[in-house]
This record gives sequence, structure tokens and C-alpha cells, in this order.
Amino acid sequence: MNPSVPALEVERLTKSYGRARGVVDLTFSVERGEVFGYLGPNGAGKTTTIRILLDFIRPTRGRASILGLDSRRDAIAIHRRVGYLPGEFGLYERLTAHEQLTYLSSLRGGDDERSIRELAERFDLDLDVRIASLSHGNKQKVGLIQAFVHRPDVLILDEPTQGLDPLMQQAFYRLLHEARERGGTVFLSSHVMPEVEHVCDRVGIIRDGRLAAVEDIDDLKGKALKLVEVRLATPAPSGTFDRVPGVREAVAFGDRVRITMAGPIDPLVKALASHEVLDLQSREPSLEEVFLTFYATGDDG
Amino acid sequence: MGSVLTKTLRGQRRALAWWVVGLVAACVLTTAFYPTISKNAASFQKLLDSLPEGLRKAFGENFASPAGYLQARLFSIFAPVLLLIYAIGAGSRAIAGEEERQSLDLLLSTPVRRRRVLLDKALAMITATVGLGAVLALAIVVTGPPFEISIGVADVVAAVTGCVLLALAFGGIALAVGAGTGRRSVAVGVTAGIAAGSYLIDILALSVNGLGWLQRLSPFFYYRDPESIIRGLDPIDAIVLGAIAVISVAIAVWAFERRDLSA
Repeated sequence: MNPSVPALEVERLTKSYGRARGVVDLTFSVERGEVFGYLGPNGAGKTTTIRILLDFIRPTRGRASILGLDSRRDAIAIHRRVGYLPGEFGLYERLTAHEQLTYLSSLRGGDDERSIRELAERFDLDLDVRIASLSHGNKQKVGLIQAFVHRPDVLILDEPTQGLDPLMQQAFYRLLHEARERGGTVFLSSHVMPEVEHVCDRVGIIRDGRLAAVEDIDDLKGKALKLVEVRLATPAPSGTFDRVPGVREAVAFGDRVRITMAGPIDPLVKALASHEVLDLQSREPSLEEVFLTFYATGDDG
Repeated sequence: MGSVLTKTLRGQRRALAWWVVGLVAACVLTTAFYPTISKNAASFQKLLDSLPEGLRKAFGENFASPAGYLQARLFSIFAPVLLLIYAIGAGSRAIAGEEERQSLDLLLSTPVRRRRVLLDKALAMITATVGLGAVLALAIVVTGPPFEISIGVADVVAAVTGCVLLALAFGGIALAVGAGTGRRSVAVGVTAGIAAGSYLIDILALSVNGLGWLQRLSPFFYYRDPESIIRGLDPIDAIVLGAIAVISVAIAVWAFERRDLSA
């Protein structure tokens, strides 16, 4: 296969559901060997995009391909080379974890017994327990294992770490790392900013079904805004902090000022020094706030 | 656990075991009462003769003979309804069940085509329904003679085959509705409604003149007329019922292949 073909490509992809949310005119591609984060709030269209890629739903317009294979025409060839973890999935409650995993892997025509055992050990999952008595986190592990078990060229993971405890998240990150070492490509959706920062090379940000941005993770971190809230002994006149370098917005209400800023915090601290500060809190904004404060002021805002 | 077919059948082991117990029990309860009935044949016949013509036709007219008794007690309604319930359940669950419990995405993310999954599920339904039919036939043949029911194996097989074909026709419809909508309750409801409606049409047409054409739309017409256990299985009837099943499965494939699956 031609190595210059992207691992994953969508072109003017649109899915309309009457008045309900779908996706609109998505165009982006993911290179081979890349870990690509597909980032957006719940309901933005992440799952819709992923399910089009796997041919579970059909686009209204546009096309999607994986490894140069068309999502509609070559769905089976795609399934052979993709490991997929759905955002929400059900397992067969009466089977054991082992039976469930063997069933799926036998439908792939492979005997992955060793791989199943090894992954179960890494995720600390007891394979002989019936699915019905597994916790949500353990079911998530079964989902992850079946996605990795046949060492696919492309991993498509919808919210992979939901329900996993921090230790298991680390196990998952190591697996991602190994998949990339092997030359695999990872497309993972998430609504958790720190996770995406931690594992991804590049992110696509989707909001209300539209692609808001595709950025290198380092650029995105540079653009990430901070929220600083200060409480002052005497209210500062409005406009006091507007000209401080890096400050995008300063809103005063009562004795509090809420400041949105980018870049180093030092100029703001210096400016605050001339006031009597009762309290100061600083935090990274949630993804939603990044959207609202940053992307909403862009060309479509 | 090789294929969707074997997985589906294995998953139903326990349920099928209960169906076998139920069918055998229903058989024994029927055959065991035959001696009582045949001793009082004359009075039962008189009771039967007093019924309106339509009902009489629906139940069977020769109550006292072993074949007539089995027709009236077992094959007029009881046995077909039992097999129908099984087949409609299996057909409704086939795709819609997987979809509602959200296991369909994982299943179809493997390199198995949608139609392969559907046909395996259809095959599982057919295998299990035929198996239950075989159990029914065997139960009649084995438990009949001790209770004075002497009847040819071929006649029993003919009657049971009719039952199985009728069940598969409705099972196929349930499969198609489930595969087309992804909703099990809709599949069960619609198919049970069609079954009840077409049974009523068939019975009504027996007593109301001028409804003959309507009757031909009812699958029950091809099951009941002529009564297979007495007159053997009519090949045309068998073909019509089989065709309903096959066409339903074909529609199911078509609908399932082209539809968006719910997450």
C-alpha cells in the first residue's frame, strides 16, 4: 500500500439528522504513526464522525477513508485493519470476559489467545468472571483489550479512558505508546483536555458538528488561556488590568475581578502588587471555556 | 464459539431447554386426555356439531379420531402459537436485540458483513424452530400409542412441518421489522399484531361469505387448509409459507444493509 496515503482522511463530511445535531463539512486527515486527538464537548459530533468511519452510519455528503480504503465500499477491509472501541457498548452479560474476547477475535479469523492473556494481565482483568458481574471500569478494559488484541494498523478509540482508574489509564497510555512504536496510528476522541495534551501529537477540535481547529498540541498549549480570579480589598476602577500584557479580558463584579489571560502570569502579578489582594485563584480553563473564550471570538463567532 | 450462528444458538441453550420441556409437557397433557375424549366421543361430537360452521371448521370436524383429536386440540391453535411465540421472539431479538443492548457495534467492527450476521441469525432461528418442531413430532409419536393414539409418523411430520413453516413465516417478518427498525418491541408488537389479525381474518372468512379473497392474504389460511395431519401437507401451501419466510429474510437483509445503526 502506498505509504503516502494518510492513515485516515475525511473530506467535506456531512451528516444531517433533521434538526438534531450531526456533523457539517468536516475536512481533515491523520498521518500514519500519528496520535490524533479528536476533542470536543459531549454531543459535538465525535461519535458521529467515528461511526461514519466504520460504516455504521452513512454520510449525507462527503467521504471518509482509512488507509486509502473507502469507508462505504471497503468497510470490511477497513474493519480488518482497525481496532475500535465504541464510546458506549454492551457486552454479552452471560459470557465470561474470556468467551467474549475469544468470540470477537474468532470473528476476525485469528487465534489471539496469547495476546488476550497478556493484555488481561496488563489491565489486571480476571478473564474468568462473567461480564454481568464486572464493574463499569472492568467492562471498559474488555472493550480496550478487544481493540488492541489483533495489533491493528489503526486504532479508533471513542472516549477510551472513561471509567478507568488512574493506574489503568497509565497502562492504557503505555499501550498507546507501544502501538505508535510499531508504526500504528491512533485516532482517539476525548472531552478531557489534560488527557489529550498528555498523549496526542495533534488535535482536531469539534464544536456543534463543525471543525473549529486542527492544531499541534504544542501550539494549542501556547494558546490555552488561564483564568485568574482575584478579590481586592478596595474595588479597582474598571479598565485597570486591560492593558496588562497577556490579558484578554478583565471583568469586575463587586470586589472581584475575573481575568482571562494567555502567556506568562508575571505581568499580572506585578500589576496586582499595587493593590491589596485578599485572595487569588488561578486555574486552566476547561475545554468548554477554551471554546467559549477563544474559538467563539474567531471568524464564526 | 466460531461463528455468529453457533454463538447465537449456544446463547439460547438454557431457553431452548425450557422450550423442550414445555412442548413435551403440552404434548403429554394432550395425548393423555385422548382416552377420556374417545370414550365420550358421541357427546363431544354433538357439542361440536352445535357450533357455528366457521368455528367447527377452525377446530376440525372429526373430533373422535386420533388425527381429528390432535388437529383440534394441538394443531388448530396450541402448537402453532407456541412455535410462533418462539420464532417471533428469536426473529425480533436477532438484530434489534443486539442493537438495543449496544453489542452490535462491536460485532460489526469485525470483518463480518452485516448480511452475514443477519443470515447467521436467521439460520439460528430456523435451526432452533425446526429443532423444536422435531421435538414436538417426536413427543407425539412417542406419547401417542400408550394413550390409544395410533397415527402415522408421516402425518405427524406433515402437521409439524406446517407448524414450523408458519412459525418461520412470522419469525421472518419479525426479523425484518427488527432489522429495519432496530427496535425489538416494535418487531414483537407489529408481528404479533399481524399474526393475530391474519388469524382472525382466516377464522372470519370461514363463516362470512365473500371474504374468500381476503383469506388468501392470511398465512394461517395456508397452514390450516387443508389440515395437514388429516390430509397431508399441501405442497403449494408449504411453498407459500416458505416463500413468506424467505422473502422476509431478503427484505431484512436489504433494510439492514442500507440503514444507519443506532449507537
